[in-house]
Amino acid sequence: MAEDHERIEELLAGYALVSLSGEDAEEADRLLAEHVPSCLVCRQTISDLRGISGDLALAADPVPPPDLVLARIHRGLDESSSARRGRRGSFVALAASVAALVAMGGLSVTMAGRASRAEESTDAAIQLLSVMRSPGADPVRVDPQGTAPSGSGFLSVSAPDVRRLYLVADVCPTPAPGHAYQLWLGEGGSFTPVGEMFVPNDEGVVLLELTVDVARYDEIWITEEAVGSEPSTPTTTGRHWSATLV
Amino acid sequence: MRDEEVQDLELHRRLSTGDRGAFDELYARYGAAAYGLALRIAVQEAVAQEVVQEAFLALWRAPEAYDPARGTFRTFFLSLVHHRAVDAVRREERLRQRSERASNLEPVRGEDVADEVVEGAYLSVRRKQVREALTTLPPEQRQVVELAYFGGYTQTRIAQDLGIPLGTVKTRTLAAMRKLRRALSGED
Repeated sequence: MAEDHERIEELLAGYALVSLSGEDAEEADRLLAEHVPSCLVCRQTISDLRGISGDLALAADPVPPPDLVLARIHRGLDESSSARRGRRGSFVALAASVAALVAMGGLSVTMAGRASRAEESTDAAIQLLSVMRSPGADPVRVDPQGTAPSGSGFLSVSAPDVRRLYLVADVCPTPAPGHAYQLWLGEGGSFTPVGEMFVPNDEGVVLLELTVDVARYDEIWITEEAVGSEPSTPTTTGRHWSATLV
Repeated sequence: MRDEEVQDLELHRRLSTGDRGAFDELYARYGAAAYGLALRIAVQEAVAQEVVQEAFLALWRAPEAYDPARGTFRTFFLSLVHHRAVDAVRREERLRQRSERASNLEPVRGEDVADEVVEGAYLSVRRKQVREALTTLPPEQRQVVELAYFGGYTQTRIAQDLGIPLGTVKTRTLAAMRKLRRALSGED
């Protein structure tokens, strides 16, 4: 489709200032997903506009943050480091948990190359298996939609009386540069982002443990979102997966 | 590539390996710029502090979000702070309460960088260039850029507040960004 570059530059200028809304925002998202990546002119335009946007930050006076900000950040780093270590362990042990999911017909996976590491089971995998064994455990396949690869998918596992949701994937594609995945739970068409954005590990594996009462929701979505953004609704122009919770 | 940018890349590389020292160096480099920006947009100190905190933590948790092929680390990170600050003010619906400020946004100041702020020479030079570039814009163009960027307003809201067509806001924004692009090109 032929594109009007004057119109695109106008949209991208507003996009770079984070000032688009409504149809303009949707149109910019579409252009950034479909046209800009393959257009040399637009790639240069958005690169320049992003540079200007970053530069405009310097027009504000620099103000040293209060010491408490760094102290809070350091506490957050400690927590993130613990979570990171935990996630690494979870990834290593995912073979065991995914094997169990396969046995329940949840995912079709190839265990080659990971089976030996299954011996290193971790707390996360054990907890996941524990939830799966509990009465009424409800694995739900979250299927690819839109541009998500047909072979990709997530499995959501929860159980009554357990305020946790496990999200597992073994062939999760790497998100586009500057993007990550966001889990959403929907209730009557209204969606809430749950947990932080995430990316798969190098092997395309995801294992997330989230504290949430799944029972009140009727839909689950996973969408590709720009890192640093805090979207209020799922973005469905990129890769996404969804399922109905019954 | 400038020395500062090379150093940023190296710090980012170390950050990607979980190097806390590299993180602290990046905080020392960009903490004041980030907080000044967040404060300008969010106005409230508590909100600005949270924005800066979350932006740095996001950097730590997902350093791979920065792709050197798409620009400098500085523009990436300050854009991240900007996005979060704008999201914060919109989310908390402070825009309406700050409506009085819309017509009286704090003007961009000239050389009066806070005395206690120590920042790299290049950052200071670039800051001066950006401010000078802004002063070259016609007032009506500068107004829409500042309302959007520092006010956190959408183009639709700007059109409503200024009583002008949305198309005019878009035209002024494009003209302003083109002028800034020319004025700042080759410097980044």
